Amino acid sequence: MSAVIKFFTRTQGHNKINFVDWISYGYLILGFFIIFLPVFWLLLNSVKSQFLLQKLDTNILPMDYERVARATVFGPEGKEIFILKDLPDWVLYWNDLTEDEKLQHDQTSFLKKYNGKEYYVLRTHFGLVSNYAKELILNKKLPDWLIRYPSMFPDAKKEYEPTIFFKDLNSEEVRLLSEFLGIKPYKPNGFTSQILVSAINADTNEVEEYSVNRLNTNKATINARLISNPQGGIVKIPSEQIMVNKTLRPSWINYTDPLTNNVRGMSFNAIKCLNNSVFVTIVATIITVLINSMAAFALSKYRFNGQIIFFIIILATLMVPASVLIVGIFKMVAVTGLAGTLWGVIIPGAATPTGVFMLRQYMLTIPDELLEAARMDAASEWSIYWRIVFPLALPAIAVLGILSIIWRWNDLILPMIAVSTTKAAYTIQLCLLDFQGEYVAQEHYRLAMTVVSLIPTTLVFVFLQRYITTGIATTGMK
Amino acid sequence: MANLELIDLRKSYDKLEVIHGINLQVTDGEFCVLVGPSGCGKSTLLRMIAGLEAISEGSIIIDGKKVNNISAANRGLAMVFQSYALYPHMSVRQNLAFGLENLKMKKNEIEERIQQAAKLLRMEEYLKRRPGQLSGGQRQRVAIGRAIVREPSIYLFDEPLSNLDAELRVATRVELKALHERLGNTMIYVTHDQVEAMTMADKIVVLNEGLIEQVGAPLELYNKPANEFVAGFIGSPRMNFFDIDMLPESIKQLAPNHASRLGVRPEHFDLKGKIILPLKVNNVEQLGSDSFLYGKTNKGQKISIKLNNQTQIKAEDDIIASFSLENSHWFNNSGIRI
Repeated sequence: MSAVIKFFTRTQGHNKINFVDWISYGYLILGFFIIFLPVFWLLLNSVKSQFLLQKLDTNILPMDYERVARATVFGPEGKEIFILKDLPDWVLYWNDLTEDEKLQHDQTSFLKKYNGKEYYVLRTHFGLVSNYAKELILNKKLPDWLIRYPSMFPDAKKEYEPTIFFKDLNSEEVRLLSEFLGIKPYKPNGFTSQILVSAINADTNEVEEYSVNRLNTNKATINARLISNPQGGIVKIPSEQIMVNKTLRPSWINYTDPLTNNVRGMSFNAIKCLNNSVFVTIVATIITVLINSMAAFALSKYRFNGQIIFFIIILATLMVPASVLIVGIFKMVAVTGLAGTLWGVIIPGAATPTGVFMLRQYMLTIPDELLEAARMDAASEWSIYWRIVFPLALPAIAVLGILSIIWRWNDLILPMIAVSTTKAAYTIQLCLLDFQGEYVAQEHYRLAMTVVSLIPTTLVFVFLQRYITTGIATTGMK
Repeated sequence: MANLELIDLRKSYDKLEVIHGINLQVTDGEFCVLVGPSGCGKSTLLRMIAGLEAISEGSIIIDGKKVNNISAANRGLAMVFQSYALYPHMSVRQNLAFGLENLKMKKNEIEERIQQAAKLLRMEEYLKRRPGQLSGGQRQRVAIGRAIVREPSIYLFDEPLSNLDAELRVATRVELKALHERLGNTMIYVTHDQVEAMTMADKIVVLNEGLIEQVGAPLELYNKPANEFVAGFIGSPRMNFFDIDMLPESIKQLAPNHASRLGVRPEHFDLKGKIILPLKVNNVEQLGSDSFLYGKTNKGQKISIKLNNQTQIKAEDDIIASFSLENSHWFNNSGIRI
């Protein structure tokens, strides 16, 4: 630790900090933030809940108010108000969800976990009363007009008497039907999400939890309801006494849902995408390294007619913009039947002029005498390549390998050309694109999966960067 | 065990001919040294024999078989390179085994040969090390070992001692010579160092500008150089050459017909012989055992003299050097010895 402190407090040869040190450290810190701020932003946003993201929450950390639900249930005993805690966000905000988003959640099985008054209020909240009531009417063979009854004009309602059927039903069914038909003492139950705060209870002088509708600190007092006694009614609490229970609530489901394929209505499988990407990256890198090093070997160590021409042609392809090639690659992939398979992604990018050039330059530094010695040692040309040149060019090959891994993993264009019609062959980059549907906003999943997709390249960099630096350093010189 | 025969061997790069028709015979078991100044084509010649360089014209015959179109791998030769060309990523053992593995030899036989070579060259202790961890002399041994394990018919050496320091060079020279006597193989050795050539060779081939100047045993070359080039090249310091016209009349009278130049080696001068040559000393080098005098004759021709003892002569002294007729060489107009 002291070594770290010593490292970060070094000065320019003197004990005192002079302006050069200020500039240097300032520059380093600035550069660090410029480079890492977007990454930090991504990391921290990837654990924000969908609702925070939709609200364009600007907090750095995934801070959220603790929320509770205030429920009002009507019954023969009259109105009862109580607080529902620990509900998931999608339940709290059910009425704000779009139809597509609602489809992603299974509210009926969620509802089954509850009973009694909690069950009633959630049933109303999910809008399931009419569905269940209609089912009941059909199952019990009750007359059709019951279904129309809630939408009738009051005059029309007078002609019917729904309560005559109640004698054949149990109390639960009576309750359901009454809630549906709006027959007293039942009414649609109330459900509102509220913010959980803490404040000193004026009666007991103890800190207690309250729920408030909204936090408007401009007002002198805020209406709050005591959690421990919700029936006790509204109390007015001075704004300055309110302690907001803002808690750090990382939304890990952003990660766990896609990775466990637990996202309903999602058309693809994140694990499959990652597998595809890993396959493409590894196989393509192996092929790239082999093909490029063989080409570089021939170009650097053999003399043949047209050698320079070949080399120039290979280099010339560097000057063709990749976007010009899209149509050509698509046609090629389609004609060869590679479209829709991962090989369509792997093969077109296997040979890279950059790689050939880099390896050739490195191989030029391997002395010809070694190859001649190998020839005297009765080595075949293949074994000269495989046992002499390849191991000796390893620093440059490692660089190409690392670059290839990063290119392939981050590549979007080639997968779009080759496999965009086949969901089973999507790579992670295509999947990330697909999270952004036309109507469905899945930013929270997308951010989380983006972070996941960054992990392999980061690991490659962290563990192999010394090969990059030594490789690049020795490629030109020596 | 092999004879080697080169018949009118030529090599040209595009239109530039660098080897102009070499005829040479090396008999089985001979230690043949190719010597010549840099750029004379000796390395190219060796590489052509090895099969690393294409032959433009002529033929190479090993044991009566023409090998022009046989690849380097199949000629059954082994070569020790100037830079040793050890595979840096392999251990010494792997370096030795590489050639044998390529020949699909059995593992235990490879191991046996490696052990033999390691014993012979005293490198058992560093079989596991990489070439980068070895000293120059050790690398040299490994390079020779790599040739030995192949049990080739002919060994080819391309200036193998030039990267060693002087002391090690002498020691390795002796070792190589002993090795040759022990193995009895034909060896072809390229060097520009005439001391190496003189001490090691059974047969020296002096090359100059792609042509053979003379082939012969070391002392034959020293005593009876075929021409001025060989006379000048063999022996250190160089033989002194004098234009006859610039010599004193007394010496001129001794010259045979057609002679235009006289050559006398520095070590063949003394201060009390019959044929005398006055000169002025410009510089004296005392080596303890020997002394070198550098000076000019009255007519301004350069002369160097080697004395086998210490001397009182100083720079700017006028002295009279002398030599005997049997130690002098006469050359005609075209440089041929008479």
